[in-house]
Amino acid sequence: METITTNPSYKLELSSSPHIHSRWSTKHAMWFVVSALLPSVISAVIFFGIYQLIVIGVSVLFSIITEAAIKKIRKKEITVTDGSAVITGLLLGLVLPPNFSLSATALGAIFSIAVGKEIFGGLGYNIFNPALVGRAFLQAAYPVSMTTWKNPNYAVDTVTSATPLSAFKFDKIFTQTENLFLGNVSGSIGETSAIAILIGGIFLVAIGIVNYRIPLSIILGVVIFGGIFWIIDPYKYPSPLFQLLAGGFLFGTFFMATDWVTSPITSKGMWIYGFCISLIIIMIRLFGGLPEGVMYAILIMNSVVPLINRYTRSRIFGERR
Amino acid sequence: MKKEKTLLQEFVKGIDEINPVMKQALGLCPTLAVTVSAINGIAMALATTFVLMFSSLMISIIRKLIPSQVRIASYIVIIATFVTIADLVMKAKFPAMSKALGPFVPLIVVNCLILGRAEAFASKNNPLKALFDALGNGAGFLIVLFIMGSIRELFGSRTILGFHILPHSFEPMLIMILPAGAFITLGLLMGFKNAYTERVKRKEREDIVKNYRAVSKLESTNQGL
Amino acid sequence: MKIVIRMILTLTIIGVVAGGFLANVAQWANPLIEANKKAETEKAIFLVQPDGKSYQQIKNTNFEIYKVFGENNELVGYSIAHEGNGFQGKIRLMVGVSSDLNKIKQLEILDQVETPGLGTLILEPPFRKQFSDLSTDPKVNLVKGVEPSKPNEIQSITGATISSKAVVEIINKGIEKARILKERGAL
Repeated sequence: METITTNPSYKLELSSSPHIHSRWSTKHAMWFVVSALLPSVISAVIFFGIYQLIVIGVSVLFSIITEAAIKKIRKKEITVTDGSAVITGLLLGLVLPPNFSLSATALGAIFSIAVGKEIFGGLGYNIFNPALVGRAFLQAAYPVSMTTWKNPNYAVDTVTSATPLSAFKFDKIFTQTENLFLGNVSGSIGETSAIAILIGGIFLVAIGIVNYRIPLSIILGVVIFGGIFWIIDPYKYPSPLFQLLAGGFLFGTFFMATDWVTSPITSKGMWIYGFCISLIIIMIRLFGGLPEGVMYAILIMNSVVPLINRYTRSRIFGERR
Repeated sequence: MKKEKTLLQEFVKGIDEINPVMKQALGLCPTLAVTVSAINGIAMALATTFVLMFSSLMISIIRKLIPSQVRIASYIVIIATFVTIADLVMKAKFPAMSKALGPFVPLIVVNCLILGRAEAFASKNNPLKALFDALGNGAGFLIVLFIMGSIRELFGSRTILGFHILPHSFEPMLIMILPAGAFITLGLLMGFKNAYTERVKRKEREDIVKNYRAVSKLESTNQGL
Repeated sequence: MKIVIRMILTLTIIGVVAGGFLANVAQWANPLIEANKKAETEKAIFLVQPDGKSYQQIKNTNFEIYKVFGENNELVGYSIAHEGNGFQGKIRLMVGVSSDLNKIKQLEILDQVETPGLGTLILEPPFRKQFSDLSTDPKVNLVKGVEPSKPNEIQSITGATISSKAVVEIINKGIEKARILKERGAL
């Protein structure tokens, strides 16, 4: 008995489950997400110029600084190396319009981390996706500069710099599908290039960091709900393919809606979550005052995730309903 | 046995201890809606204080005459009377301010702060105390509305009370004069206030423990001697 | 039974006293409020009709329209107050038109609850100035992103298309109503 109490290596360890650990920690997963975002960063630079790299850099930098500062003030362990602040900064930078002001970017990043995440207690406790909180804040704070778009570097149409969605909504102008696919259209810097997002997104799904159910259900939902309206009146409502490729849809689907903390944990819950997001997106895009609704759709559904988790949790075998 | 409070204490408690917005979380509707500028906040708070003062005083005077079954109805009639007076006076004498505050002056009738003080305090205390309680709550309300209005005006339109504070290079943050900004500002204010109160309380507790330890140590050494 | 009588009595007394008191206050305040309202309307009428010296409201219509007279009591035009739906709520405006209803003189926005800093740009001179000397035959047209090329065109505010559109629609509807009145000979 004496050896156990005196020698630390024989100390009895008491801990609650889980006892088996994956060789992948949160840290690994976070850095995989960061690498999956790189194609979108590259497409942002190709289509909107090298300045966008500075915007993304400022966003990432201020996210890290804010997180470290708040942890320090609250006398908690500084956890910036887990990469979650980097991801928030990257995501926020990529959903901003081209040539966005640096001071506003910094403000958005500070708001994302401070109010979107740390106020709830840090990573794992936040209700809303921090990057989207930051974007919603910037959208409300600077509505004019947040909707001032710029034509991409290889633009065919030089007259208007409207995004494909607002061009369709307000002026009924269609954008060519191949331009939408490559990203050669105006819009938020990381959101325009479907192919870059798909490379990163499919990589994340393939290595299992992103559960396939969420993106699949959102895409299916948009195809179904968007398709119904398209069949009813193909001149008034855009085709499902346009709905999928235009605006921030793919970026939101693969990188925003799938955030581990703010999406449901049960399989059934993921399907419900995805379908509801797609329904809200279609509603806002077709009948709302705004041309794009991905951000608000995800934020709205984030707020009901605890409810979804509660009602879809698997029951203990034999338990009554 | 509760200690009898002095009139000054009745006044002061409304500012800090039971601040209507920060602690009781009453009267949030005008707090959120009209504080787009500091001057609007002040005007709203003054109108509310006027109604609060006179209705508390009135209710306290006739508190023993009102049968308890119809007390709420009586309070509402009295409050509504003073609100209508405030509304009419503002419309007649300060039409611009009345337009800026819009429907929120008539809505003072249903401001839970006033009915809350009437039910919780004025109906149980003498008129003088009720008056000081109302004044204290009004002052607390005024301070919070002024702070909220100043913060929102500063970031939303670069000014405080119409004076330019921030340089022109600062792009005004529209969110601060939109409803969302009101919620964010109020939430953060409440959070910081609570954090501060907690800190003061913890310090007091630690001091008590320290004193106790020092005393008991002294006693034990005395015994040792 | 006694308590019921007491309840009725208390409420009645409170009601009567409060009512009497309010009646007195209202008697004092109402003329002042009326005067304020009148001054405001008058100010707006003459603001949109710079040559106007006196005015007369045209009765028996479902909207507000004023005949405005110049220095020598000649008709200089009409001031039309009209309202409609904006982005978030009602927009109420006053527009001064020439006596043949074919030209806008000035535009004044009376009430609006548009988004601050965006929709509220309809209050600012760059937008409102466009309406000075604007032709209303054919009706006012809104263009986006390009300079107005026709005498009846105005440019929409960037980022506030809905508010700009609402203003134009309210004006068009108001003038249309005035035209109908004119055809009937009621003007």
